[in-house]
Amino acid sequence: MDRMTRRALLARGGDGLASLAIAALLADEAAARTRRRAGGPRDDRGPIRPALDPAAPLRARSPHFAPKAKRVLVVFCSGALSHLDTFDWKPELERRHGTPLPGGEGLLTFQGENGDLVRSPWAFAPQGGCGKRVSSLLPRLAQRVDRMCFLHGMVAKSNTHGPGENQMSTGFTLEGFPGMGAWVSYALGSECAELPAFVAIPDPRGLPQSMGNHWSAAFLPGVFQGTPFNAQRPIAHLSPPPKLDPAADLAARELTVELDRRRLARFPGDADLAARIASFELAARMQLRAAAVGDLATESAATRAAYGCDDADPVKAGFARNCVLARRLLEAGVRFVQLFNGAYAMGEGVGNWDGHKELVKQYSVHAPILDQPLAALLDDLAARGLLDDTVVLFTTEFGRMPTFQKGASGRDHNHKGFTVWFAGAGVKAPFSHGATDDFGWQAVDGVTTVHDLHATLLHLIGLDHERLSWYHDGIERRLTDVHGKVIEAILA
Amino acid sequence: MVVSIVIVIVIGVAGLGAGPFVAAGDEDGAGAAAFARHVAPTLRDVCQRCHGPERQRGGLRLDSLAALQAGGDRGPALRPGDPDGSLLLRALRHDDEELAMPPGGAVDAEVVAAFATWIAAGAPWSDLAFAAPTAGRDAEWAFAPIVARRPPAVDAAALPAGFLRDPVDAFVAARLAAAGLAPSPAADARTLIRRATLVATGLPPTPEAVADFVAASAPSPAAADHAYAQLVDRLIASPRHAEHAALDWLDGVRFAETNGFEMNQPRPDAWPYRDWVIGAFHADLPFAEFVRRQLAGDLLDDDPATGFLVAGAWDEVKSPDPELTAMQRDDELHSLVATTGAAFLGLTVGCAKCHDHKFDPIDQRDYFALRACLAGVQFGSRPWRGAAGASEPPGRDPVDPRRNEERFAPVVASRVRFVVVATNGGEPCLDELEVLAAGAPPSDTGGTRVNVALAALGAVAHASSAYPGDPKHQVAHLNDGQHGNGRSAITAEPGGWFEVVLAQPTVVDTVVWGRDRDGVYADRLATDYRIEVLVERQGWRVVATSAGRRPLRPRPAVYAGRFDPAPPPTRRLERGNPLAPREEIAPGGLAAIDVPLALPTDSDEPQRRLALADWIADPRHPLPSRVVVNRLWQFVFGRGLVGTPGDFGAMGERPTHPELLDALAADFQAGGGRRKPLLRRLLLSGTFRQAGAPRGEAAAIDGEGRLLWRFPPRRLAAEAIRDSLLAVAGVLDPRVGGPGVSSFAPNDNYVRVWEGKREFGLEDFRRSIQLLRVRMQPDPTFGVFDQPDQGTPCPRRARSTTALQALALTHAPFVLEVAARFAARLEAEAPGELAAQVVRGFARAFQRVPDRAELAAACAVAEAHGLAAAARALLNASELSWIE
Repeated sequence: MDRMTRRALLARGGDGLASLAIAALLADEAAARTRRRAGGPRDDRGPIRPALDPAAPLRARSPHFAPKAKRVLVVFCSGALSHLDTFDWKPELERRHGTPLPGGEGLLTFQGENGDLVRSPWAFAPQGGCGKRVSSLLPRLAQRVDRMCFLHGMVAKSNTHGPGENQMSTGFTLEGFPGMGAWVSYALGSECAELPAFVAIPDPRGLPQSMGNHWSAAFLPGVFQGTPFNAQRPIAHLSPPPKLDPAADLAARELTVELDRRRLARFPGDADLAARIASFELAARMQLRAAAVGDLATESAATRAAYGCDDADPVKAGFARNCVLARRLLEAGVRFVQLFNGAYAMGEGVGNWDGHKELVKQYSVHAPILDQPLAALLDDLAARGLLDDTVVLFTTEFGRMPTFQKGASGRDHNHKGFTVWFAGAGVKAPFSHGATDDFGWQAVDGVTTVHDLHATLLHLIGLDHERLSWYHDGIERRLTDVHGKVIEAILA
Repeated sequence: MVVSIVIVIVIGVAGLGAGPFVAAGDEDGAGAAAFARHVAPTLRDVCQRCHGPERQRGGLRLDSLAALQAGGDRGPALRPGDPDGSLLLRALRHDDEELAMPPGGAVDAEVVAAFATWIAAGAPWSDLAFAAPTAGRDAEWAFAPIVARRPPAVDAAALPAGFLRDPVDAFVAARLAAAGLAPSPAADARTLIRRATLVATGLPPTPEAVADFVAASAPSPAAADHAYAQLVDRLIASPRHAEHAALDWLDGVRFAETNGFEMNQPRPDAWPYRDWVIGAFHADLPFAEFVRRQLAGDLLDDDPATGFLVAGAWDEVKSPDPELTAMQRDDELHSLVATTGAAFLGLTVGCAKCHDHKFDPIDQRDYFALRACLAGVQFGSRPWRGAAGASEPPGRDPVDPRRNEERFAPVVASRVRFVVVATNGGEPCLDELEVLAAGAPPSDTGGTRVNVALAALGAVAHASSAYPGDPKHQVAHLNDGQHGNGRSAITAEPGGWFEVVLAQPTVVDTVVWGRDRDGVYADRLATDYRIEVLVERQGWRVVATSAGRRPLRPRPAVYAGRFDPAPPPTRRLERGNPLAPREEIAPGGLAAIDVPLALPTDSDEPQRRLALADWIADPRHPLPSRVVVNRLWQFVFGRGLVGTPGDFGAMGERPTHPELLDALAADFQAGGGRRKPLLRRLLLSGTFRQAGAPRGEAAAIDGEGRLLWRFPPRRLAAEAIRDSLLAVAGVLDPRVGGPGVSSFAPNDNYVRVWEGKREFGLEDFRRSIQLLRVRMQPDPTFGVFDQPDQGTPCPRRARSTTALQALALTHAPFVLEVAARFAARLEAEAPGELAAQVVRGFARAFQRVPDRAELAAACAVAEAHGLAAAARALLNASELSWIE
């Protein structure tokens, strides 16, 4: 109905006939709107908001359909790992080394002007049974190429780290949206009541660019927020501080619960109060269980050596321990683990993959920290059968330019083409999907948005990205906003 | 607009005709509970998409008891008392392929079990469970004009004594009666003062205040009413109320004192907006002023108020990439438009950026018309006129980085020297040292006095030393006649001197000097100096010094935005894409509102904002008043009459009491848009004064208490929990105002690292509103209690319960420190007597005496582990952080 007509009717309001007329019109409109909202004929595709039990909000819930994977490991390389120096081999880039980027005249990227095309300083050679050419920068991961399902046609919305990392983990470049792990724990709860459903493992060097946004619950209930801890730093407030006598701590907690129980007797059936008591009991169990899961001393010498837990480089040893921790958490039934490689606080490219100025120097430091521990983690997950029902996503916020920056020996940000890979449950491997142009600048084939990536990840754990939603400020919010298509081509 | 209301009423009544909510065979209420928790939500949210008012697949509807029993093509879906004979349950169990429902996959086993319980119990039913939310129908109720409604007639005799105190109570009672419910009896005096104090101020009452109130209430109901009215007046007038109420507004406009995104640097002069909001609530600023100042305070001599416009995130990482720059600016304006829509209009205007709003009458042009009103807003600080300290004490002006003039008695000088004793940091810098000849200017200079220090006139510059290796800073720049940092002189040491040797001895009476006349740099500025001249045969004589100048300090500034006087044209963006601008859109309001606002495309920048404010505050505009009174209701009862305070559109919830909402909105307008008179009424209402105890039969019908059959108890918000702990322990520092106090350890990394403090002392015990608000980084101790991240507006906080909250309360250093101080306070109040200390602890924490068992348990812990352990247990107990 035309707005002005409707407004006029509303304004006239009072008289009887108009009332009847407008009542009918409004009802018609509302019905049309309801149909529109439900997506036209697909009336059975409305939002799914799982019912939450306040006393046990993390109780395991059914997926929307039979899933390929039960849990998720995301490895997030912060700072924008160069696809051109790792997994996206471009023979044309090698041939045209030292010449201008065609179509790049006058191009201004994040830090400004660009120089000529520069081939990767690392050699690409065929690897694994499949013979895919990948670079020698990450030699051990290269040997596991048969496990990987590459998406070479990735594009992101922003070429700035903060918004870029926001989008990769939350679907939105802006501040204030839930991380994918928060969405998944909201949808599915957890198989382990005594640990958080969603654990974020920050790099030993510090936090990634977007910091806690990666594991924020944002407008979802706080219980779905990721809990950050790593092998270097346990869960905040998990254990009593050293100066607090454990017996006194226990006695005080028991007294609190006793007081709460007596109060519950005065408010029988109060769900919030029952949940409060349950939360204190869960905290006590979590204190024991999380400490046990975090205790890597029970790992065999062979395992520690395989990961590099005792490497001479303390950063590599730290990341290796974080990789072991990731496996232990997945083994214990944690639904979603997000493992970070790279930290921002040390500055551009110092502790992360942001290789603007001196690519060779910077990546020669970072690659060994990532390579052996992550390769060992893949092997370990496979050996324990966990890869059969765990999906692994290796990702970064965006890629890098095929040129070096003007006057520098490194690559600027490039959100128009980059590479991520899956491994484990539900995906084809070895497999490659999508491609960038001849130089690795822009995705041209199998172009995959971050929304598509998220839709696919949710699909692999049995969730329909168009239906998993939370009402917030007038919108049924989704991880994939109003976009995203499952990349059917890579599904096993 | 009687119309929409009529529709609402019709629907409301139609939904309530199903009779009492009991069923034979459900004596223990298990069936009703299963219905409320699982059956009704499943029927409503899952089944009715295909079996509801819109569609009836298989001829079946599942939205009324009668329809369920009548069934569809396959016969009755429900046989009360006979689970196995009910097709509904067989379909849900998925044990019959052909019947299996819903088609997307079986519902949880728990839900299936609830259906079985419900049917076995005789299928107790209430249509109320389906009354809200009902999308569609009256979707545009909020756009209709407000109509003052008379309270309905209710039978006072059927209500608990003293329930009917305000028209509000009649609306509530009528709605309860329609649902087959009745209000609860009045709460006792101790509960009431505790509740009112926590609700109004976010702090608990002192044991003394409770004792006085209980005593004053004891003699008679009239005495109790009198004491309570006095209490409410005192609470509302207290600054503690405004400090507490301001939090909700700051949540709603996502105010924080850091930029957000990856740098997340602080905004050290953003705090005046927080103080402004507190002041506005304390003074009960009329709504129209509240809006006008926040949108256009720069025109109204109220600079901090426009902090509203720049309260959100701002990406400080800039780039020469034009696409990125366009996207960043788009994000800034979009967030501002969306927040303005949600905060003042209760509308999700932001949804219309990419396309016409799918559910509300807001089209894409409306969105860009609002955006054009705000297109001149830029993030940043601006001078704060009228700030405390902006008025100057007597004395000469402080040194000005740009230009300073020093006059003295005429003297014949051959050399002039500028000696620097101290600067505001770094080696001193002068961009020019001018020496003016005394007497009238020569006629050929057009009135300009002659600068005899110029090299062009033969003068020569010297300095005590020269800053090495920078062509911008050369001694010769001192008298080259060119200004600015690029043509300046710096010495190599912190002090030093600059000098010009004049071509010949000259009568001079003025020296002019500056650090950077272009006004870009203000560092290296001489703040303590003297000027000497060499007089022939007499030696050096001091002619001017910095003595008597007022100290240099930064001009007061406030992070309240800067305004582009000529904003670029606002263009509609195709599919919301900032790289696809289309036709220009003029500033304006929403076409669906019957108050016109249409400005020419070239209207004055500040006038656009003022016009927008006046449009929002126009009393004919129906949305803002409804939004405000709904927020006030939420402030008092924990949940608004509309449960979605930022969305009064079709996707939001319908009001539980539409007539009451309108009655309050009309009163709000009639009262000049002041909030406190309404707040007073709500606190004095019988609805507020009900007991909070659960009643099984009422909870089965309305588990959330949305119809107010009791005062709905709730957990305090993060800030109020923290403040309560501090108040109970006796260490709360009530000073509010000025720069925030940080819960985070100091750090000045270029990418800010927000790491919680580990040690806490008295200086950390300020009220929570006074804490530095960090975006995307909740408080390190209390943030887990659902503190919003200030990334997007949060008009209503979640209240979740998690193990991490329990861990924070038991083990956080902050809580342990406060517990130790609480114990010390109790020891001081009852020296040497453990039992008395514990009793005092209950009085402080809960304002009541412990029962025998509680006292014994607490004393046992205190004896074995020290009073601090028992004190912590009291601080951690749910009773302290609950409004009952």
